[in-house]
Amino acid sequence: WGGDGVWPTHTACRKEGLEVLYQSCDPVQDFGLSIDQCSKHIQPKVRIRFGIILREDIRELYLDIALMSKGASVLNYSFPICEVDLPKFSFCGRKKGEQIYYAGPVNNPGFEIYEGKYQILLELYNEKRATVACANATVICS
Amino acid sequence: MTPPPRRLAGTLILAMAFLACVRADGWEPCVQVVPNITYVCMELNLSKVPSGIPSSAKHLDLSFNPLRVLARRSFSSFPELQVLDLSRCEIQDIKDDAFWGLDYLSTLILTGNPIQNLAPGTFSGLLSLQKLVAVEINLSSLENFPIRHLRTLKELNIAHNLIHSLKLPEYFSNLSNLGYLDLSNNKIQEIHHKDLHVLHDKPNLSLDLSLNPIDFIQPGAFDKMRLQGLTLRSNFDSAHVMKTCIYGLTGLEVHQLVLGEFKNERYVQEFDKSALEGLCNLTISEFRLAYLDDFPKNINGFFKCLVNASAVSLANLYIQSLEGLPNDLQWQSLELVKCKVNQFPMLELPSLKRYVFTANRGAISFSEFELKNLEFLDLSRNGMSFKGCCSQRDMGTTSLKYLDLSFNDVVTMSSNFLGLELLEHLDFQHSTLKQASEFSVFLSLSKLLYLDISYTHTEVAFHGIFSGLVSLQVLKMAGNSFKGNALSGIFTDLTNLTFLDLSMCQLEYVSQGVFDSLLKLQFLNMSHNKFISLDAFSFKPLHTLQILDFSFNKIVSSNGQELQHFPSNLTVLNLTQNPFDCSCKHQSFLQWIKDQRQLLVDAKNLECVMPPDMEGKLVLSFSNTTCQITKVIIIVTVVSVAVVSVIVGLVYKFYFHLMLLAGCKRYGRGENIYDAFVIYSSQDEDWVRNELVKNLEEGVPPFRLCLHYRDFIPGVAIAANIIQEGFHKSRKVIVVVSRHFIQSRWCIFEYEIAQTWQFLSSRSGIIFVVLQKLEKSLLRQQVELYRLLSRNTYLEWEDNVLGRHIFWRRLRKALMDGKAWTLEGTAGVENSQQETTALT
Repeated sequence: WGGDGVWPTHTACRKEGLEVLYQSCDPVQDFGLSIDQCSKHIQPKVRIRFGIILREDIRELYLDIALMSKGASVLNYSFPICEVDLPKFSFCGRKKGEQIYYAGPVNNPGFEIYEGKYQILLELYNEKRATVACANATVICS
Repeated sequence: MTPPPRRLAGTLILAMAFLACVRADGWEPCVQVVPNITYVCMELNLSKVPSGIPSSAKHLDLSFNPLRVLARRSFSSFPELQVLDLSRCEIQDIKDDAFWGLDYLSTLILTGNPIQNLAPGTFSGLLSLQKLVAVEINLSSLENFPIRHLRTLKELNIAHNLIHSLKLPEYFSNLSNLGYLDLSNNKIQEIHHKDLHVLHDKPNLSLDLSLNPIDFIQPGAFDKMRLQGLTLRSNFDSAHVMKTCIYGLTGLEVHQLVLGEFKNERYVQEFDKSALEGLCNLTISEFRLAYLDDFPKNINGFFKCLVNASAVSLANLYIQSLEGLPNDLQWQSLELVKCKVNQFPMLELPSLKRYVFTANRGAISFSEFELKNLEFLDLSRNGMSFKGCCSQRDMGTTSLKYLDLSFNDVVTMSSNFLGLELLEHLDFQHSTLKQASEFSVFLSLSKLLYLDISYTHTEVAFHGIFSGLVSLQVLKMAGNSFKGNALSGIFTDLTNLTFLDLSMCQLEYVSQGVFDSLLKLQFLNMSHNKFISLDAFSFKPLHTLQILDFSFNKIVSSNGQELQHFPSNLTVLNLTQNPFDCSCKHQSFLQWIKDQRQLLVDAKNLECVMPPDMEGKLVLSFSNTTCQITKVIIIVTVVSVAVVSVIVGLVYKFYFHLMLLAGCKRYGRGENIYDAFVIYSSQDEDWVRNELVKNLEEGVPPFRLCLHYRDFIPGVAIAANIIQEGFHKSRKVIVVVSRHFIQSRWCIFEYEIAQTWQFLSSRSGIIFVVLQKLEKSLLRQQVELYRLLSRNTYLEWEDNVLGRHIFWRRLRKALMDGKAWTLEGTAGVENSQQETTALT
């Protein structure tokens, strides 16, 4: 817990004119994230590594993404990551207090990042709408 | 600079005393969720169990605190406890009888503790424990896990540990109630013949072994065993291992078998249909398979061992085509979820009662099939188009009760559910409905309970759209539109409706009588529309309404008179996000809001938008006194204006009188220069000059008269002269009343001033001299003068010797009253006496 009530800013990747910084916006905890294949030309199925100690059970898990550029909202997206019936990922159903370490691909299409600075707000929450993880990410492409 | 230690100590004592006052409750710093029942003390850096929590507590969350060691009877002061959460408490050591006294504890959570020592009597005393979560606690063996006496245990979760062997100890036979055993994510590699023999008499157990790196299952290990469920996901690192391990399950009778992998834990390459051959040696009721790469293109023969299963679920498999399914399948339920099937399958499964075909993006358009026993059909999320919907002909069944066509492309309503009269649940949300509002589509669905046509691009124009839905309880039609943005009488048949969602429909008006037949309605959502007023009158028939949502509208106010018609059973009213007008003309509505704050959602944050001076202020802060103050201000202003006008009018009228008043003050104490000011008509000037002046000024005592022709200062206004020279400087006023006098405006003016002067100086100073006999009719023109003359004594001029004498005597006497005698005056008196003597 940062001394002034704010978590430190971490670097998820920095390479070839692309820099991804993030900061936890969950008042309860910080978490670790790194992105392999850091490049302006995002490949499909980027591999990430993500580590966290759960503060909530995640029988169900949902992700909200909000992309902003120059203060204006560009994209809002919400989708389920874990569902009760035949869960998709091996970490689904994990318990409060359990540690998760995920190293694997993200189901993203390939695309090009245009020059600029982008803010991304990511929030993971469970079936009780309790925040599991929250991040304010900044993508700087030059 | 550091403060002296004494001062610091003093400050600390004060601070502690203050904190002691603030900290009224013993359970702090924990959070009391339900008083005396539920307490959450998560992540508070507690090293021991807090003492202030009431002994009646039933739920206690102590997770993420560094408790480290659980000593004997750590929780004996909470005998009522039912749920105890000790996740991540850095517990390494749990002593004997640590949970002693928790007779009613049903759930114990120990997740994420690096336990090194569990005493044999750790769980003793837990007489009612049903659920034990011991995930990620460094457990390496079940042999020494001290749970043998937990006979009430139903669920044991020991996932994410270091268990290498599935050798279930003998004590498992004691756990006669165990229904769920989660051993997933451990280190189990091999399953041997004798490992599971204690489970032979546990037909109700579900066993999850996912994420164990199993490479060997000894044939016969599961022989003659009955299980409720067995889950093996992401266990095998190749198709070959999978195949041999499935052979190892030979002889198992299992209700539900789950195979497959996780999206992020994939090991099986080149999966082929022979991998499941071993399933022919098992008895399976429900088979589920998920996330396998390289699914065979031709499934011919793949399901031959599942012919007798009653339910099959296939999720996230690359099944391109379902052609080649055996004809003798006994399946009653089939689920195909995200299977990328590239064509809508032509199924011929007469036994099928439940068919779920969802999120298969490869299929483009629906084609008819014949499943004559089908009761449940879910075709949602396929993006498919339906050229004609819906009748018995399309599905070949008359038994359908549940139909979900939501999240598809265009659904054209060409038939009104002919032959599908048993339907109870119908969902079209987010598909585009065509021709839904052209005829009574649902006319034959008298058994339908649930209908969702939300976001179906339907414009409701036809009043009979919901005709025939006499049993309907739930109607969701958010995100559609209405002709003229007005809600009209389309609900006439829906007498059993309890739930109605009309949000996002761009509605502006509600026609009269729309809700008249909805006598059972409990929930009504009108949010995200364009209503500008809360029309309470239209809700009058909704006696059973409990929840009403009017958030995100444009409601400015409501007719205060109508609000008494608001449903009286309402428990929740949502008016958030409306542009309230907090001006005084809506005072009764705003007061109503304040009165209803108990049932209003987020009442304390409702904000005013108008008028500008109230913008952003809270509706609840609106005060009636503001309006009363405004009223008072208006009244005071009106009264003041009236008073000022009257004063101005009076001042205008009595300008000269006021001047006289001002003069009185100024000259009041000064000496009088004249004995009398004579008011007369110029027509009577001869008499004044020859008689009055002669007799009074030259007579004894001599009186000094103020006469305008002689004493007024030239160049000064006549009125000013009258007041300043005439009245202010004279002791008395002689009014010479004659016919001319009454007819002269100046004379009347002078006379009126004289009257005021007399009144202000409060002395009887006016002497009336009536020169001629006056006709009464003439005199009556001057009412006041007439009145005075009839009340007061006056002098009458008589032109004869005796009459004159008496006249002058009386006049002199009147003039002498109040005269200040000077030396000259005294002599005058003597002279007068002499003259009087001479006269007599």
